[in-house]
Amino acid sequence: MILTTRSSLGAVALAVGGALRRHGIPAVLTGGACASLHTRGAYQSRDMDFILVGATTQARLDTAMASVGFVRKGDRYVHPRVVFYVEFPRGPLAIGSDYRIAPVERRGRHGRALILSATDSCRDRLAAFYHWNDRSSLDVAVAIALRSPVRLATVRRWSIAEGFAAGFAEFLREVRRTRVGRRRRSKPSPRRTAR
Amino acid sequence: MEVKVSSSPFGGRTRTRALLALRLLGESYPRELARLLEAPLSGVQKALASLERDGLVAARSLGRTRVFRIEPRYFAFDALQRFLERLAEPEADLRARVAALRRRPRRTGKPL
Repeated sequence: MILTTRSSLGAVALAVGGALRRHGIPAVLTGGACASLHTRGAYQSRDMDFILVGATTQARLDTAMASVGFVRKGDRYVHPRVVFYVEFPRGPLAIGSDYRIAPVERRGRHGRALILSATDSCRDRLAAFYHWNDRSSLDVAVAIALRSPVRLATVRRWSIAEGFAAGFAEFLREVRRTRVGRRRRSKPSPRRTAR
Repeated sequence: MEVKVSSSPFGGRTRTRALLALRLLGESYPRELARLLEAPLSGVQKALASLERDGLVAARSLGRTRVFRIEPRYFAFDALQRFLERLAEPEADLRARVAALRRRPRRTGKPL
């Protein structure tokens, strides 16, 4: 798999995921890159956070990443032709206090990678909104809910367990408001239909 | 070499004490923590950077200052808070220093 300057985030993620898998390194794509995939590019991110879910060595990781052209520079892996960079933040894989996360597999012609499900990616962004009052994360969570299948009942249960029932209510209001706005924009105006 | 008088369950004295201070203060910045812990600024910065890599603390920018707090999204946040609270109980000196810090607002221009 040759990565180029034109490789998309999805292609790079799958290529890296594939390389890690070939080298026996279990890892899950999380964070902004995962949110970008679930919003189908509506939200952009340049860093790819893979959480290692099993033991490995630095040398093994370097070899796996080198097989797709990434070299280690400090704490991150960079590629001479790719704008995206890869980091391996320390785990465990968790969203708030919930560490029983079941990742999903995404496949494509570039490879395959384990990533957070749309529901978990949405929860991941909401955690930043709840705990840091980060409004941009709320926007991304809404975008995920509108563009990918998110189980709102699961998000609601988790939000309440985390102590953020009011935050979830605000998220839901934003989802509804944005959905209505999108419908209105996509509806043809009466004058146009009369012509 | 200084003799350790308390345990350092988080891997190092400065790491542990920085966490304890953050637990007591809520949030803080490296220079304040260095003053409070009577530790070199570079040591505190290193300790915070390693705690950040471990996901135990998180920082946000406030102007040119990086303000740290215990990462509320850490999966064991509640348990960590409780553990730190317990660890801070015998640290009378640290608690007294934290208590002496003025954190309430002061009107701009009001004389000291």
